[in-house]
Amino acid sequence: MKNWFISLPGPMAAKVVIAVIVVIIGLIALFFVYDWIGTNLLDTGGTIG
Amino acid sequence: MGVVRRVVRIVGWTSIVAGLLILGFVAQQLFVTTWFAQQNQEALVQEAETRFQEAEITEVEYTPPAPSSTTTPGVGTTLPPGEVVPGAGGSGNDPGAPLVPKKRTILVESTPEKGTAFAIIRIPTIDRLKDGWTVVEGVSIRDLKNGAGHMPRTPLPGQPGNAVISGHRTTYGAPFHELDTLNPGDIIEVETALGTHTYAVRETIIVRPTELWVTEPRDGAWLTLTTCHPKYSARQRLIVFAELIDGPNWEAIYA
Repeated sequence: MKNWFISLPGPMAAKVVIAVIVVIIGLIALFFVYDWIGTNLLDTGGTIG
Repeated sequence: MGVVRRVVRIVGWTSIVAGLLILGFVAQQLFVTTWFAQQNQEALVQEAETRFQEAEITEVEYTPPAPSSTTTPGVGTTLPPGEVVPGAGGSGNDPGAPLVPKKRTILVESTPEKGTAFAIIRIPTIDRLKDGWTVVEGVSIRDLKNGAGHMPRTPLPGQPGNAVISGHRTTYGAPFHELDTLNPGDIIEVETALGTHTYAVRETIIVRPTELWVTEPRDGAWLTLTTCHPKYSARQRLIVFAELIDGPNWEAIYA
């Protein structure tokens, strides 16, 4: 994680911005993955057919 | 020794990350989806109440099915084919004449647009549904994230036939979380633009998700609620059949 952060391009401020953006995108992607798993395996909404 | 330490470190971090991902999943499913659903409910209640004022209501002729087909309306006893039900119709005084059911008039509301809230379901014996939960038109994944969903090819609540409403059991507000606690005779109220339709629970069953027969038309006016079963699994469906016992169209359908 530390190595990944250090390897980001640009000065320290740019590294922080890039890291924050990557983390936000990752969390949003994770949200959609969770949502897909939930609505397909856990609780589909009870529809028939 | 260095190798063992490295393996332990990798296994440890993998376990921590996996645990966090699982915790995140549980939190997202139980709390985040419910938060979204509750936020949507406020706007949907407003939408439903606007529809109650603005929906187009018309009177249409309704011919009940011939009494020989299945049951005596409102009683539930099966009749043999050809049996005449007093007061259910007939042509003239000729006892041998073929039975022709009387035409009646029922109230019909305009079909709601897909995805819009058009009804509020209340079940007094279930805490979560005491104050009501909105019903939207449609049963797509998106529709059901907002509220309970009415299956479009079935009649609207309060109409003759079998109105089918589906809802989440454990996520997105879980409106049907405690549907398994309903007993025969429990009351279900559905408010629409026509007024409040009151149903009484008749039967609760568990079926496979593919058993479409539960959505088929029925004589009289019925409400069928469907949800996932068991809780936290989509393996089966819990089905609640309820029959109309009061409301704007009850007399025309059952009298």
